[in-house]
Amino acid sequence: MLNPVSDLTASVPSETVTLLYRPAKGKDALACWLAIPSNMSAGTSPLVAVHGIRRGAKQQAELLAPRAAALGRPIIAPLFDKVNWPAYQQVVRGKRADLALLDLMTDLRLAGTWQSRSFELCGYSGGAQFAHRFAMLYPQLVTRLTVASAGWYTFPDNAAFPYGLNETSGKAGHWGPRIAAGLQQFLEIPIQICVGEEDCVSDPNTRQSAEIDQQQGVDRVTRARRWSMALQQAASDRGLQAEIKLSILPDCGHDFQDCVQYGGLDRLILPDNGGAASEHSQLYHPQPETVLSAKQS
Amino acid sequence: MTVLTPIALNTLDQAKWAFSTRRVSRQDAVCMLDMLSYATSGDLVLGRVERIGSHKKIQLAAGRASELYVGDLVVLACGDRYAPDQFEGLAELDPEGADMLAGGGVLGRMRHRHAKMSAPTRIIPLGLLANSAGKAINLADYALEKVARPDGLKVIGVVGASMNSGKTTAVAGLAHGLSRAGHQVAAIKATGTGAFGDFNAFVDTGARYVADFTDAGMVSTYRQPLLRIETGLDTLLAHAKRDGCDVAVVELADGVFQKETADLLKKPQVRDGFAGIVFAAPDALAAAGGCSALRALGVEPAALTGMVSCSPLGAAEAEAATGVQVVTRGTLCDPAQANALLAQMLAKHGRHALQVSEVGVAA
Repeated sequence: MLNPVSDLTASVPSETVTLLYRPAKGKDALACWLAIPSNMSAGTSPLVAVHGIRRGAKQQAELLAPRAAALGRPIIAPLFDKVNWPAYQQVVRGKRADLALLDLMTDLRLAGTWQSRSFELCGYSGGAQFAHRFAMLYPQLVTRLTVASAGWYTFPDNAAFPYGLNETSGKAGHWGPRIAAGLQQFLEIPIQICVGEEDCVSDPNTRQSAEIDQQQGVDRVTRARRWSMALQQAASDRGLQAEIKLSILPDCGHDFQDCVQYGGLDRLILPDNGGAASEHSQLYHPQPETVLSAKQS
Repeated sequence: MTVLTPIALNTLDQAKWAFSTRRVSRQDAVCMLDMLSYATSGDLVLGRVERIGSHKKIQLAAGRASELYVGDLVVLACGDRYAPDQFEGLAELDPEGADMLAGGGVLGRMRHRHAKMSAPTRIIPLGLLANSAGKAINLADYALEKVARPDGLKVIGVVGASMNSGKTTAVAGLAHGLSRAGHQVAAIKATGTGAFGDFNAFVDTGARYVADFTDAGMVSTYRQPLLRIETGLDTLLAHAKRDGCDVAVVELADGVFQKETADLLKKPQVRDGFAGIVFAAPDALAAAGGCSALRALGVEPAALTGMVSCSPLGAAEAEAATGVQVVTRGTLCDPAQANALLAQMLAKHGRHALQVSEVGVAA
């Protein structure tokens, strides 16, 4: 019997949170779900939560809403719909998903949803792919990054983009070197990497090829481990004291709700200290990695 | 003997105040001095339009252009001007008539003009505007408070092969791209002649802070002491930082052979203050020549842009000749690409600083 870390009913605090759907305002614009707490103070840094390929933006806003209320922080869950954004995970492939998110954030700033200069970013599965690549492109915008259960990653190595940061032929050829230019600043972001303990078998949605399997491993747990080690090594090579932490969520497979309810993902994304990334994160050491115990939380 | 003439009520309200005078408190002008031959750069002049020439409009302090008519009263600043494809002139006033050297409000004596230019618009100087103490009003009296160059502001320089090579477009593109990427951007014109074209182009980008040398008290930087220009740049950067900016994009006017621009780039404290330099060129040959000139000054351009970037063939030639990447206006306006260009500059600048430091230790 699973023992939920986050009892959604019990954890809803006295402060209220309003869940809103904001339609897209234009042809290439994004719709989004918003969780707006009643006790939000001016200048509070928002959390941008990006869904996976099931497009569960509403689910992300709903499941993170109790933490939003507890911390008085707004949640912005953009919706990359399947028709217009089939490859949003890769950010710069096809239509530019990064520009769409920037435009949405500008609109929401005008609407008063957020006022800070930067925001925290998290993503689950395909959203985690988007989140880490967006943060690599705009490290100055992201104050804390949570990458949960990504199927695969852009590594800080010489593999061809999008697997690594090397130049490739074709339209997206220059993006690797562009991202590489800002890698140091990216590595200075506190990064929380999470993956379900049972998310260790590849499924039809896991990208497979000899190249990626050799570089990253065959399943999400292995890939998360290798990416976190690669980031740590890249930071170390640059003399950085990086805040990179890998958390293996117990009793969780590849399901966002399970990761929140049983793995405490919501508290890893939005810790009690307001997102300074210190409660759950510490300087990452490859072994032993953190396995959250349901009883601990 | 100096003659002080009180200004009749409402006379100055009727005058067209040029853009270069935008910082001046108009109520301070209560009388006129007749010492026109003693005018210096930045002194305010009340004049009457005698003949319409090349400049048919005046750029107003309010930010719009106004049609000029013979007989119009105008308030301009006495100043020098350097513009190879327009006029070159000095900050000298002839009581019989002076030349409108720039539409932004520069009055002086024309020495040279480009073959395409007709004669300048002629202005009869009626007197220098003076304050209640009888002192000539100068733009410097209204300059921003002088402040030392700030730390922690990332500064990108934009220089070019000549006038109209694409510098302003490059500054505007970068300012827009970086602003959209979430940076708090200052767009600054450090040298040149007071005019609202570039200023307004910078404002349109969404930059957080926009300023030019007139905010540092100069109507034009041509023939100004280098220290004054450098201090002006430092002041504008400091005010940008105070306003919350983290990145500044700075345009140096005209070409790299223009004296003040070249002298600025020769100064290590100015040159090394730039995280990177973008060079705007009209064609591949100018790009190659400009890169050579910059390298001779110890500056390695981070990117080439300008009209050469509009031509894929020209861009390929320029890249082959210089080894420097060519970036289009679209690239500069793209937030991710502008961000990457800034990061590339900072990475190289950091390495350069390290090398300089290592040399110092070894010595």
